Amino acid sequence: MMKQLVLLAGLLAAMSGSAFASEQAAPEQGKTVEELTAACTACHGPTGVSPTTAFPIIAGQHKTYIEKALQDYRSGARKNAVMAGQVANLSDSDIEKLAAFYSKQESPLYTPSGD
Amino acid sequence: MKSISRWTQKVFAAAMFCGILQGSALAAGDAEAGKVKASTCIGCHGIENYSNVYPSYRVPMLGGQHPEYVVQALKAYKSGERAHPTMKAQAAQMSEQDMADIAAYLTSAPQAQ
Repeated sequence: MMKQLVLLAGLLAAMSGSAFASEQAAPEQGKTVEELTAACTACHGPTGVSPTTAFPIIAGQHKTYIEKALQDYRSGARKNAVMAGQVANLSDSDIEKLAAFYSKQESPLYTPSGD
Repeated sequence: MKSISRWTQKVFAAAMFCGILQGSALAAGDAEAGKVKASTCIGCHGIENYSNVYPSYRVPMLGGQHPEYVVQALKAYKSGERAHPTMKAQAAQMSEQDMADIAAYLTSAPQAQ
């Protein structure tokens, strides 16, 4: 019985410890995908299939390409007034989350052929 | 004199109208003409999951994309707003008509096998 109580106490301590750890880590983890995509929706649509032809369809695009585009907007290697403002405060982890989200959405994009 | 000037006005108006029509035809792009012009593009964009080697990332899928956006991208490479060396070299050779034709083809081409 005593052994079980000690185990239980240990387990509770471990659980609260991990809960505490995740609370502490929360700011490190940054924004959720929902928070991150909120800014993208107005131009690219809720799932990245942009309704406006001036803005690219990003749904289903290769993840690494989306990441590269966002990184280049952030560094200034790719110059676009609208996108520069959007990505300025994104972390590497935010960029990865956005690319992962949009690359998995249903999409009309495909690889074209020459014949 | 008055009737001649009216006639001149009509001719001028007709010429303007043709100009507008031609302008919109230019912007629309000709996919058939684009097919020939896009042969170089297909070398990378027509290979499923093809990767840019350095830095390593996959080249974008252009089938099904908005042609207007593809034209914008080509113009940005030509102007230097986008810096990819290969794409800059490709776009530097293109007229606006070439860009429109290529965009029309790549965004509507048959799917690669």
